[in-house]
Amino acid sequence: MAKMRWFVVLALLGTATQLVMSRESGLVHGGAQQTRVIGSERLVFVEPLPEAGGEICEPVPASREAGREETLIAALQQRQDARVASLEARNAASQDRSKMKPVRWIHDPYAAFSSVAVDPINNEVVLTDENLFQIMVYNRTADTPRSARLTEPKRIIAGLNTKIEFQCGLYIDPKNGNIYAVNNDTVDTLVIFDRTAKGNAPPTRELHTPHGTFGIAVDEATEEMFLTLQHDSAMVVFRKYAEKDESPLRLLQGDATGLADPHGIALDSKNGWVFISNHGSVSSRTAGADERPSRRNAQKQNWPKGRAEAVPGSGRSLPPSIVVHSMKAQGNASPLRVIQGPKTQFNWPTGVAIDEQRGELYVANDIGNSILVFNVTDSGDAAPKRVIQGPKTNLRNPTGVWVDLKNNEIWAANFMNHSATVYPLSASGDVAPLRIIRSGPLDEPSLGIGNPHPVAYDSKREQILVPN
Amino acid sequence: MHDIRYDELHDEFLVVNPFAEAVLTFRGGSNGQESPVRILQGPHVKTGGTRLDVDPVHNEIFVPDGNKIRVYPREANGDVAPIRIIQGPDTQLERAESLAVDPINNVLVVGFNKLGDEPDGAILVFNRTDNGNVKPKAVIRGPKSGIIRINQIAVYPPKKLIVAAMPGIEEMMEPPNAFLGIWTYDDNGDTPPKWKIPIGPKTTLKKPFGVTLNPKNKEIIISDMRVNGVLTFSVPEVF
Repeated sequence: MAKMRWFVVLALLGTATQLVMSRESGLVHGGAQQTRVIGSERLVFVEPLPEAGGEICEPVPASREAGREETLIAALQQRQDARVASLEARNAASQDRSKMKPVRWIHDPYAAFSSVAVDPINNEVVLTDENLFQIMVYNRTADTPRSARLTEPKRIIAGLNTKIEFQCGLYIDPKNGNIYAVNNDTVDTLVIFDRTAKGNAPPTRELHTPHGTFGIAVDEATEEMFLTLQHDSAMVVFRKYAEKDESPLRLLQGDATGLADPHGIALDSKNGWVFISNHGSVSSRTAGADERPSRRNAQKQNWPKGRAEAVPGSGRSLPPSIVVHSMKAQGNASPLRVIQGPKTQFNWPTGVAIDEQRGELYVANDIGNSILVFNVTDSGDAAPKRVIQGPKTNLRNPTGVWVDLKNNEIWAANFMNHSATVYPLSASGDVAPLRIIRSGPLDEPSLGIGNPHPVAYDSKREQILVPN
Repeated sequence: MHDIRYDELHDEFLVVNPFAEAVLTFRGGSNGQESPVRILQGPHVKTGGTRLDVDPVHNEIFVPDGNKIRVYPREANGDVAPIRIIQGPDTQLERAESLAVDPINNVLVVGFNKLGDEPDGAILVFNRTDNGNVKPKAVIRGPKSGIIRINQIAVYPPKKLIVAAMPGIEEMMEPPNAFLGIWTYDDNGDTPPKWKIPIGPKTTLKKPFGVTLNPKNKEIIISDMRVNGVLTFSVPEVF
């Protein structure tokens, strides 16, 4: 009971304090405006009005004609001085004043896996985390027990020096285990780390990429690196060891290519094919030379045409697809085949992977909560030959997929349940994973926030709307 | 998506799909794979912007697009041309990226972006009904304003306030001096914000990207890209 009374007293005190502070922090209308840093522990900045304030000029008697002009000029000068003083006061008050804390914070404290790659030589699996901006390395055979909160990674690469932000594509160099990681949207840089890198380490190598890269694949035979570009519906091919401001070797972009908000990319080197998944949103680019080159592509060759070169009104929403091109395709080349249609079950097909030995294409079907398997020769409205899907699979918005041919396993990075899951290569239907690596407690809800740009408030339902 | 707006009057929310050059309107409370109730898209629409705002009183949608602002009927569906375009040298529009409309005081507030060595951004104030090559009523820009670029804007008509997310230099992962700033409609020139919630360890803000208001509870809601989350601040003195 005593505790309850104290609570009431404290609440009343708090209310009274709030009232006093609110009154004190009211605006001074018509006088000096000050920047106020606002919040519960806010500083109330107090500055007297300038003595010769803008609206407080000495009245000029109407009969006193002599010197009237000078008086007016002086008054105007006075007003100008007052305005300058007012601005300076406001500016001074804006410096380093915040002790305010948010009253609520929506944030997921656990990693949200977006892409996955296996290093079979070193028996490690690498995962990108788009929530906390990390690359995490685990033992390949790690398996989080149901009773455990999570599995600690062997190594974490994270921090401002790493230039890791919304990473969505991964490649592991089979020769040395180096990690290639793609930044999407916010950092136009591909970062490459030594296999053993950890902590806030700068990348071993950086490549400045076009805006909005998503997927990555490398042809080791030709030492060429393929990247998809979401924003400009294009694919660029660089030297595998390209760095800094090097130009791409080839560009694939244009209405004929079938590229439309491309995401995942995988190579069938045996047949010389490249597979690219598309979500379907696209607009055309102007024909001819780039008349308004972006600052980002100054003097670069084979750079995609950006938003400034979009044909106004050409935007369209196409069904999701996977287009198949020759690995040598460039320009506005048409695809060799397109897999598209209701039988495909495509619903935001995102990550893709190829099993060259069996001639199979794996698709991380994000919104479908499934892994779809096709023959690499499929075309048109083809049904998948196998589908991994169902409550036992633990698949939840898979965005990354990887085929481990050494261990005959298929991996999925699940963006919406803090997990990566592993299945036998032949898995089909509602099968339980062989292993699960969890980055957070079982049943801990995942927020699905990834690059929250704007925000809106639904006042009717008292809900916050957060698009990504 | 770079913008989202809730229309309380009609219980709808609107977004832009910039890749498909489309304005999508959804039923309030939409969930799952629900289709939009209206899609504004096509050769007559010509929208290339990534942001928008809706005026539920006068039934209009505003879309900024670099050096112009297009205005469409709110209930337009399909390939519908704009009913007004603010464009021309007198408008001073360049890199117009975000905006907010106040249907009560008939004001349109526009925010500029900045990339690389382009000039710093600005906030421009127009009349809601402006059309063609019109001059802005006010331009807030300059070092004292602290504006480098403006990412999302909200307005609070009862007090004639402009609430803007200023995330700082685009190329920096955690730019210094980013903040949430509040100006008034009467501000003009190189004017510091009247109120400011800066980045820092106390506010926990790192790179404020989006902003919306909850006047009923006197709160400002901010989406932060580097926090990868949403933070709510109680600011009764603002409302």
